[in-house]
Amino acid sequence: MNNTHMKRICICSGLSLVGALFALGIAQAKPPRSEAQAAQERAALFTAVAKGDALWHSPKLGTNGLACANCHPDGSATNVHTWPKFQTNLGKVGTLREMINWCIAVPMQGKVLEYDSNEMVAMEAYATYAHRGIAIDLGKDEQHGGVPVKSGPGYPRF
Amino acid sequence: MEKISRRQFLGMSTKAGAATLFTGIFAPTATSLFGLAGVAEAATKRVDPFTFAILTDAHLYDIKDHKFDDILRKGVADVNSMRPRPDFLLYAGDLGQSGKKAELLKGKKILDQLKMPYKIIPGEHDYYLDMGKAWRGLFGDEHWSFNHKGVHFIGMNSILVPDFWTLKGLTPRERMGMMEELECHQCGAWGVGEKQLEWLARDVKNVSPDTPVVIMTHSPLWDYYPRWNFQTYDAPQIRETLRKFDKVIAIHGHVHQVVYNEIGNIRSSGLLSTSWPWPYPPVKLDYPQIKQRRSDPGDFEDGLGAADLALNSDFDAIIHWREFSDLLPANIKNGLKI
Ligand SMILES: [Fe+2]
Ligand SMILES: [Fe+2]
Repeated sequence: MNNTHMKRICICSGLSLVGALFALGIAQAKPPRSEAQAAQERAALFTAVAKGDALWHSPKLGTNGLACANCHPDGSATNVHTWPKFQTNLGKVGTLREMINWCIAVPMQGKVLEYDSNEMVAMEAYATYAHRGIAIDLGKDEQHGGVPVKSGPGYPRF
Repeated sequence: MEKISRRQFLGMSTKAGAATLFTGIFAPTATSLFGLAGVAEAATKRVDPFTFAILTDAHLYDIKDHKFDDILRKGVADVNSMRPRPDFLLYAGDLGQSGKKAELLKGKKILDQLKMPYKIIPGEHDYYLDMGKAWRGLFGDEHWSFNHKGVHFIGMNSILVPDFWTLKGLTPRERMGMMEELECHQCGAWGVGEKQLEWLARDVKNVSPDTPVVIMTHSPLWDYYPRWNFQTYDAPQIRETLRKFDKVIAIHGHVHQVVYNEIGNIRSSGLLSTSWPWPYPPVKLDYPQIKQRRSDPGDFEDGLGAADLALNSDFDAIIHWREFSDLLPANIKNGLKI
């Protein structure tokens, strides 16, 4: 019996031990997430997405009438799957949040958001949800239209 | 000099049989002066070669010295610099952003700097504050036709939606605000509507099938991406009415991008805006090789521009997208034969 085989046996028996304990309900430090809790978390996420949607379409982030959605309907062309990357107008490797703030400050002539503010997280959530399922590809040079939207706002509402 | 060329233009159009009233000369216009007999007289397969220019989607705000004012001015200067000088300009809608009279007035003042006459149709951004009242006051009819050097030109209002505001009790400002969102999912799909379909049928009834036709609408005459109203819901009926013609060239605003399609006898070209470029929606393009490159957000003129269409005697046409920045790939840099 070689080493690898030995290890496999150990891992297997380890796993079946965990499985057995799990079945008995005694291995967990806390109980598994209940369906109600999962639903609550999902609702919290989509409340943030909806808040992001409202901000995305609001000219109030800027001073010249423009909103993010003027150029990025349905969160398109934010290319969230390509960040962080070198972005010419940032002059460095930056993040989606930095780009959002750049858009607010320069084309929209507005006041930038705190990077960890609820508003910024909501905007990031909105744009990212519009690109769900698209493979992460850092620095990829492409403009993506996002996930096609058939009807409604493009995300579940709670 | 300028006045002479306008008169010459008007003269030629009148000779061709249509009462051509350009906003550059008279405003508002009157559809009643377009006679069917006049339209029929103009039918001819031969085109007296000429060029016309196109601008669209300025999205002017009622804000002093807004950056889009300058971009529209740049478009007007570009068109004025074209040689040979275009006979006229067509404007494909969305001159304003929020349908305010002040926006449209500002736009009209800038367009009046054109050294040639122009004809214009409304876009959704011009319209839904007062249902086109201010626009009509400044520019006249929402649909029109005229003949020029052997070509029958048609313009129509393609942004009409069924009433979504009355039941919801929306104010005009709220209604406009919803329409301002490209992805408004409560506003419904646009079309030209029954009345304009009937008008179109009457308009082309006596126009012979070998007449070259150019039609301008704000939205595309095919289902490109309905979510963003990159469509006209009654485009199938429009295409049916125009089916008898040998060849129809369609141009449309609204998409803020270079895009091309052919359906039957209709060749459609999308146009660059003078405000912001829109990304290509997440659908397969019918002509993926006819596409502008992605624009640089750091350059406010990137992906924007004007256009011209040069027609020869056989109604072969070349559309030139005149991007202010250098973003056209080699295959369409020097124009596209359509
Ligand atoms: Fe537009
Ligand atoms: Fe539009």
